[in-house]
Amino acid sequence: MWGIMSGSEVFAELLWAEKYRPKSLKEIVNQEEIVNRLMQFVKEKNMPHLLFAGPPGTGKTTTALALAHDLYGEEWRKYVLELNASDERGIAVIRTKVKEFARSRLPGDIPFKIVLLDEADNMTADAQQALRRLMEMYVETTRFILIANYPSKIIEPIQSRCAIFRFTPLKKEDVIARLRWICDQEKVKCYDDALEVIYEISGGDMRKAINTLQAASALGEVTVAHVYKVVGLAHPKEIREIMTLALSGKFIEARDKLRNLMVNYGLSGNDVLKQMHREIFSADLKLPEEVRVIIADYIGEIQFRIIEGADDEIQLTALLAKLALIGRRLST
Amino acid sequence: MSEPRKIPWIIKYRPKRIAEVVNQEDAKMKFVEWLRKWPNVAKKATLLYGPPGCGKTSLVEAAANEFGYEVIELNASDFRRRTDIERIAIRSSGARSLFGTGKKLILLDEVDGISGREDSGGLEAILQLIKISSVPVVMTANDPWDQRLKPLRDVSEMIAFKRLSKDDVIKVLKRICELEHIVCYNDALEFIAEKSEGDLRAAINDLEAVAEGYGKVELSLVKALLRPRDREHDPFETLRNLFSAKYAWQAKMALTQSQLDYEQAKLWLLDNIAQQYTDIEDLVRAYDALSRADVYLGRIIKTGDWDLLAYAIDMMTAGVALAAQNNPKDKYRWTRYTFPQKLILLSKTKDIRALRDDIARVIAQHIHTSSATAKADIIPYLKVIFTLNPEYAAKLALGLGLSEKMVEYLAGPMKSEVLRRYRELKQRYREFLEKTQQEVVKPETTTQLTTALKPSTTRKTRTTEEKRKKESSLLSFMKKEKK
Repeated sequence: MWGIMSGSEVFAELLWAEKYRPKSLKEIVNQEEIVNRLMQFVKEKNMPHLLFAGPPGTGKTTTALALAHDLYGEEWRKYVLELNASDERGIAVIRTKVKEFARSRLPGDIPFKIVLLDEADNMTADAQQALRRLMEMYVETTRFILIANYPSKIIEPIQSRCAIFRFTPLKKEDVIARLRWICDQEKVKCYDDALEVIYEISGGDMRKAINTLQAASALGEVTVAHVYKVVGLAHPKEIREIMTLALSGKFIEARDKLRNLMVNYGLSGNDVLKQMHREIFSADLKLPEEVRVIIADYIGEIQFRIIEGADDEIQLTALLAKLALIGRRLST
Repeated sequence: MSEPRKIPWIIKYRPKRIAEVVNQEDAKMKFVEWLRKWPNVAKKATLLYGPPGCGKTSLVEAAANEFGYEVIELNASDFRRRTDIERIAIRSSGARSLFGTGKKLILLDEVDGISGREDSGGLEAILQLIKISSVPVVMTANDPWDQRLKPLRDVSEMIAFKRLSKDDVIKVLKRICELEHIVCYNDALEFIAEKSEGDLRAAINDLEAVAEGYGKVELSLVKALLRPRDREHDPFETLRNLFSAKYAWQAKMALTQSQLDYEQAKLWLLDNIAQQYTDIEDLVRAYDALSRADVYLGRIIKTGDWDLLAYAIDMMTAGVALAAQNNPKDKYRWTRYTFPQKLILLSKTKDIRALRDDIARVIAQHIHTSSATAKADIIPYLKVIFTLNPEYAAKLALGLGLSEKMVEYLAGPMKSEVLRRYRELKQRYREFLEKTQQEVVKPETTTQLTTALKPSTTRKTRTTEEKRKKESSLLSFMKKEKK
C-alpha cells in the first residue's frame, strides 16, 4: 500500500499512472528486448546517448526513469535532469539548465549524469541543431535520453549519435493484466469486459488506460457502464454537436461553439480532431459510408498540418467549412 | 477568363529611363554620380529617402536599366537570419548571371519598416550585408530619421527625394490617359492628384481603378469611388480592400498598406471571411486559402525558412480575395466586420486559463509528462472524479498538493462539497502529523503532501536535501506504513 494512512484512514491518493509506474527495469514486463539491452548498460555502468521512440503510453518515460533508478539506486533523482521540450521556453532555457546541471560532479562510480528530454520531436530543426551541440559539449559528464513519438522528426545528426530504441504498442493481454493487477492492489472489483473496453478506448496507450481505470473506479466497481460513463464525461459532447451544426450548414454557429470549447475547455486541436474522428464512424452521425471516409481523410490532413506547426483554430475552421459544403451537397 | 491578362498601370508605366523619372533632378544627379563611380565611392551604400510614391524605387530601376544592372530586390523578411545575409551576398556578388553583363545591384525597399519590427537583428544583418557586399547596395525609406536607423545613415550616402507637386502628378496621369485612350477631365485628374498628396503610385492606382470600371474619368465618378487614402489602413479598411480586390496584386497591396501585420491579419480574416462570403463553396475556398497560408507560417517557425513568408502572404491575400467565384458580388457587399473574437475570448478567460495551466504543471511534474498532455489526458478525467466522488477527490487533491482554487476549478458544480471534505481531511492530517514522532526515511510521495498544507498555489521544486529534512515528520510515518 502506498496511500498515506492513519489507522484505517487513507489521507492522500495519487494518480495511479504514477503510483503503479514500474520503478526498476526488472518490473517492466513487456519490451523485453529493450529492457535486456538497457540492463546491459546498467551492468557495464556506461551507456551512449539514447533515443526512445514510439507511440504514447508504451513505456518510454517509465523505462528511462527505471534505467536511471537501476543505475544510480534510490538517490537517482539527483543524477537526472528531467526536461520536457514542449514546456521549456526555447533552446536557450534548455541550454542554461543543462549547463548548470552538468557542472557539478556527484560522488559515485558512474562518471555521468542523465538529461532526460521528453517530446524532443517537438523541437524545431534549429533548436535540435543547438541540442546536438549541447550533447557533444557535455558528453564527458552527461548522457542524453531523448524521448519522441516520431523519430523521423529528429534530425539525422542527432539520430546518428544515439542508440535508438523503438517502443511498440503494448499487447492487449499485457495491458489488461496490468489493469487487473492494479485493481487487485487497490482492492477494487473489476470486470473483464470493462477492462477490454478500457483497452479499446485507450488504443493501447497504457497511461490513458490507467487514467480511465482510476476514474471508473471512483464510481465504485469497474464495470462497462462505469467506464462508458467516465469516458463520456471526460470527452465533451459538444464535438458531435459542432459537427452536426456544420453538416447542416450552420457554419458560423459551429465555428463559435468550437472556439468556446477550445478556449474554455483547454482542448487542443489534436484532441478535437481525435474526437471528430471517433464521431465520424459512430452510428449516431447519419452519413453515407463513403462520406465518412472522405471526412476521415480531411481530418487526417488537418491533424498532419497541426503536427507540422499550423494553427489549431484556423485549420479546424477550414475543416468546418468543408463539412458545411459536404452537408450542402448531401442535402441537394 | 477570356479577358487578356492585364498589367497594373504602375508597372506598365514605370519609368524605363532616368529621364522619365519625374522632377527629382537633384536626387537623380547625386544617385547617378554615385552609381557611376562605384566602387570608388566614400560610402558603399545609398539611402534614398522621401515620401511614398515620389520615385525612389523607380529611379533605381530606371538607372539599373540604363546602366545594365540586374536588380536583386530584398524584403525586410529576408533579414531574419545571418545565414541568409551571407547567402544573399554570395549570390549577388559571386556567380555571374546567365543573362546580361552580370552587373548586379541590391535593392532594399523600405528599410525604415525594419526598425519597427521586433527583430533588431534585421538592422545588424543589413549593416553586415553592406560590409561584405561586393555590389552596390541601395536602400529606400520614407522616414530615415528614426534613432534606430542611425547606424544605417552613417554608412550610407543620403539622397533626398522631394514630395511631387500636384502638377507633376497631373502631367503623368494625363500622359497615361492618352496612351490608354481614355477620356479624362482636368477637374477629375486634379482631384485625384490633390488626394494623392504627391504620391504618384497612389494616384496611378486610383486612376486605373476609376478608368477600368467606367472607361472614362470624370469628377463625379472620381468623387464617388475614391475614399480618402491613408498611408496605413486600419483593419476594417484593410479587410474591405482585400476582399474587394479584383487582382492578386490589389489584394497583396491591401496587406502591405495595412496597419495589420500578417499574424494579425490572419486573425481578422479568420473571423471575417464568413461575414463577407455567403456562398458555401466560396467560403470553403477562402478558408482553404487561409489555412494554406497558415501551413506556410507553421513551416516557417519549424524550419526557420523565412522565404516561405511570401507564399503565406499570397495565400492569405490573393487566395482569399479571389475565392469568390460562385458569387463574386459578395466581394463588394458592405458588411460589418468584427474584431477577432478569439482575442476577446482569450482576455476574458485569462485567469481561468492561468489556473488551468498551473494545475497542468503540477500534474505534469507529478506524472512526468508535458503540461499539454496533462491538459489533454489527465485533467478531463480528474474533473470526472472530482464531480462524481468528492471523498476520493479530496484525497487526490491532498496527494497532488492542489490549492483550493485548483480544487474549485476541477470540481465545478461540486466545488463546495469537495472543498469542505478537503479542508476536513487536511485538518485530520495535520492532527495526525502532530502526534507522529520523527524519524528519517526516503521521500517519494511525500513532497506533495507538505506543499498541499502550505497556502501556495503552485508547486515548483523537486526533492532536495533541504526539503527532505523538513519533511522528517512525514517520512517517519512512511517507513511504518511501508512494512
